[in-house]
Amino acid sequence: MPTSLAEEGIRATLTVEGLAAGYGDTPTITDVDLTVHRGEIVTVLGPNGAGKSTLLKAVLGVIRPMAGSVLLGDRDLAALRSDQICRLSVGYVPQVRDTFPRLTVLENLEMGGYTLPRKAVKARVEAVMELYPQLKRLAARQGGHLSGGERKMVALARAMMISPALLVLDEPTAGLAPQPAATLLNDYIATLAGTGVSLLMVEQRAKEAMSISDRAYVMAGGRVVLHDRADAVLARPDLGEVFLGRTGPG
Amino acid sequence: MSQIVLSLGFGLVTASILAMGAVGFTLQFGVTNLFNLAFGESMTVSAFAAYIAHNDLHSNMWLAMAAGGLAGMVLSLMISRLIYLPFLRRGTAQFAMVMVTVAVSIIGKNVLSAMSGSGFYSYQLPPERPVHVLGMVFSPRQLVIIGLAAASLLGLHALFRYSRLGKAMRATSDDAGLARSVGIPTTHLISAAWLLSGLLAGLAGVALAMDLGTFDFNMGGNFLLIIVAAAVFGSVGEPYGAIAGALVIGIASELAAIVNPELKNVVAFGILVLVLLLRPEGLISGRVQMRAEVAA
Amino acid sequence: MSPALQSYVATLLVYLAVNSIACWGLNLQFGVGGVMNFAFILYQSIGAYITAVLTLPRAAPGVPETYILGWHLPWPLPLAGAAVSGALLALAVGSFALRPRRRDFQATVMLVVSIIAATLVTSEQGWFNGGQGLFAIPQPFSGRLNLGISGYDWFFLGLVAVFAAVVLFFTDRLTGSPWGRRLRAMRDNAEAAESLGTGVRTESLKVYVIGGAIAAVSGGLLVEFIGAWSPAAWGTGETFIFFVAIIVGGLGNNFGAFFGALLVLGVFLELPTFLPTIGSSNTEESVQAAAIGVLILIFLWWRPQGVFPERKHALSRFMPAAAPEPAPGPSQPGTTLSVSDLSRDFGGVRAVDKVSFELLPGTATGLIGPNGAGKSTALKLIAGALKPAAGQVVVGAVNVAGWAPHKVSRLGVIRTFQHTSEFARLTVLENLLAAAPGQPGDSFGGSLLGRRHWRPRQRELLAQAAALLADFQLTELADEYAGRLSGGQRRLVEIMRALMAQPKILLLDEPMAGVNPTLRLTIEEHLRRLRDGGLTMLMVEHELSSVERVCDSVIVMAQGRVLATGTMAELRSNKEVVDAYLVG
Repeated sequence: MPTSLAEEGIRATLTVEGLAAGYGDTPTITDVDLTVHRGEIVTVLGPNGAGKSTLLKAVLGVIRPMAGSVLLGDRDLAALRSDQICRLSVGYVPQVRDTFPRLTVLENLEMGGYTLPRKAVKARVEAVMELYPQLKRLAARQGGHLSGGERKMVALARAMMISPALLVLDEPTAGLAPQPAATLLNDYIATLAGTGVSLLMVEQRAKEAMSISDRAYVMAGGRVVLHDRADAVLARPDLGEVFLGRTGPG
Repeated sequence: MSQIVLSLGFGLVTASILAMGAVGFTLQFGVTNLFNLAFGESMTVSAFAAYIAHNDLHSNMWLAMAAGGLAGMVLSLMISRLIYLPFLRRGTAQFAMVMVTVAVSIIGKNVLSAMSGSGFYSYQLPPERPVHVLGMVFSPRQLVIIGLAAASLLGLHALFRYSRLGKAMRATSDDAGLARSVGIPTTHLISAAWLLSGLLAGLAGVALAMDLGTFDFNMGGNFLLIIVAAAVFGSVGEPYGAIAGALVIGIASELAAIVNPELKNVVAFGILVLVLLLRPEGLISGRVQMRAEVAA
Repeated sequence: MSPALQSYVATLLVYLAVNSIACWGLNLQFGVGGVMNFAFILYQSIGAYITAVLTLPRAAPGVPETYILGWHLPWPLPLAGAAVSGALLALAVGSFALRPRRRDFQATVMLVVSIIAATLVTSEQGWFNGGQGLFAIPQPFSGRLNLGISGYDWFFLGLVAVFAAVVLFFTDRLTGSPWGRRLRAMRDNAEAAESLGTGVRTESLKVYVIGGAIAAVSGGLLVEFIGAWSPAAWGTGETFIFFVAIIVGGLGNNFGAFFGALLVLGVFLELPTFLPTIGSSNTEESVQAAAIGVLILIFLWWRPQGVFPERKHALSRFMPAAAPEPAPGPSQPGTTLSVSDLSRDFGGVRAVDKVSFELLPGTATGLIGPNGAGKSTALKLIAGALKPAAGQVVVGAVNVAGWAPHKVSRLGVIRTFQHTSEFARLTVLENLLAAAPGQPGDSFGGSLLGRRHWRPRQRELLAQAAALLADFQLTELADEYAGRLSGGQRRLVEIMRALMAQPKILLLDEPMAGVNPTLRLTIEEHLRRLRDGGLTMLMVEHELSSVERVCDSVIVMAQGRVLATGTMAELRSNKEVVDAYLVG
């Protein structure tokens, strides 16, 4: 029975090597190498269709890799089901449908801690509420009645309930107006850096994401086309072309 | 006026039975999105199970009721595991699933008919002195039915609101994919939902048989559509709406019976048709729209 | 053969023929049109009752039989009355029962109506003699012909056979026509059919009414043979027996329905009378009925399409051999699309916020923006799939805001879907043909006129379709069921289908999703050609290279609002755009 890596205090490095994955017969992403070290914030950037979601799904065990490997520490994630991965201390915040709309915020958090021993849930709820004090005010509100930014905060808090070693975020600022998006990135997510959790994030708001990240990978057309420290990626003058597409046959 | 109060009393009894049935029906819909037209047969089977316990095995009525509840649980679980889930997993279309439930209903009803010889059965309970409460008249048995309904619904409420299992069931019904990703064993929870709804079907079935006095293999099937009426009243899949529906339909149909006993069913069905037309999701919409369209 | 045996055989054949007629009616409603008519037996019954009360003379006083009408009409007028009554009843019931979108809800309403009707008929003595029903109904011509019992049976069989032939011919003609295709498309994907011009509620109602009339005729024939009819003959169980018959026999085709009638009604229900009785006759009936239930389950599991599945309409042999080039897509000019202050909320979030833009014919405009920007929602608002909270959508000179999707599409506004929406049980060719608007044979009336009426135009359309298929390199798949194709292929079918619909305004919702780069170029070429031919196009797309190659100008949306408009190059240097969307 997989135990929580966070409890074991192992340096959990996410290592993706030569990953190819997709739906149907042809892979959507090929030859992807990526690492996330303990305590790092790593962001994956790129235009739509670049394969970022596919990468996340392969990491989370939603789809099986067609080639390559996905290891957390020395555990092969590819062989596990998604609920097993959760017990392995990987937290996930999906892009949409990230909260239970008819459950209250408090209940959402409790469900996040479903795999924890019951006595531990209460303590974790308190700890998570310390992390995001606004949750105390929202505790009795139904998930579906929250604003976009509030929902994301709840989703983050929910994922943090299991004290994950690795937190995977799929476009957290999607659908948010600039202000809540900035708060989400600079406040809620950046706060997590202090807790020692490793973060793998896919984002489209590249500039803001870079300002809180350690390293970044840029994907386009199913491959990693750029990999560097975040500030270096940000400084590149040709980044706009990568995103908006170069003119001529793609 | 006293007629009205009297009918109110009858309405409460009907509503109690309806409520248990409708919440059971709605539970099944909530987790599997299945319009289970075989639900009535679970009720009938349970009524017969209680008959066997009480009339053949000479246990008291309480034990018989428990037997009925148990029968309902087992039957519901078996049908869902052996028949419905395999079809659903295959991706069977919605309308084909209706045919599947209809087929199960036909099988159930006729097996019961063949086994029971299509005669009428009765628990043959001794007559009781009526009790007067606030101008309404009840037999103690009917008060038990009302109490049973209240107790089971309160129990459900407590389960859903305060227990981990209940919250996990609501979570599964809300978003099974998300539930799985936080480690909730959704398959087990769906089974739990079926067990619970089967229990409610069983209790409702025995209560109905008690209230009717005599019953046959058609009992549940005849009552099914009225249960559907109550369940659809509040957004199908939303138990509290089903309770509201049960109250409205139970009382309205009894009040209508003052004018003409034939109207009872017609009123109930009329409400069903109205609700299905006006608001396919029911009148009390609890579901908040959080669809993927928002991210477009 | 002894006269008794002859009579028995003739009787069986009469039942087979009458039930085939009934099954063909139900097949039209359910197998072709997708309407789950759980009140089917009600229509057979009204036919029986009306035929009876039109054949019978007025109820004589002192006779313990009360009923309405009693006009003592000569044959075949009572049957005509039956058909009319079936149609009228279906019209009345269908106009509210077909309102809900979910088919199982529709079915439940119909079931309830059927039960209420049975209750009413039983309790209202004056209508059709209540629970006892009607009896001693004279058989047609029985007094005038001197045929003896078995002779009369064969005579009646001849009558019924004529009716059966007529109904078969009629339903075959309907199903094989462009209208039949439209119905099957609606059955497969109502939303897509609506976006291509099918008024789903109206067409469902039509099919319901026609099926109702056919069912009524079968009831009328039955009552003329049996001579009696009562509520006992039409419990709700009877409806399900008919459903079993057509499911087992094969949905969507008349031979399957006939075979189902033969198998279930003829063999399965008759055969047990030859078997030794187990227990009481009641037990036997129950066992039979339970066995029918098991049969349904078995068939739904192993062979949901039935013993004789719907025959594939393989039309590729009618395609011209050499594809003319280039694709004779619509070179008709497009229409102006003018959107102003379009707004829509979703669960408290402003999904589209006062969006305004204008599109001219002969232009292609891209609609880009980050996720959650409201792009798809905007398309749906324009096409009528969603109702706007405010704003106008002016197509040419008409404001279509709030119109139903099929009405909007008839003005030439065609949209493709984000998730593929092919008609799964139609072939690729049929998918394309189903999209062409205004085909002769496309309506109930037109379908009756027969092949000569709609074949010429269909040939032309087949040529167009052939050219499209050749261009997209899918010619070999012309006769494949669209549901069996790969994701990318289905996407192409959807695009081709949209092109066949002769759009004046083409709304594309992420057309390049899941398409490989080479085919992307083919699609882009088509789109450019259409644009140059005068079409108005709006394309939501994330694949920005495609947008750049096809679109003259690009609109950027973020958080439901229009942020900027311009060429890709201009947008790249627009700081606000870049900030909202990219890195800069």
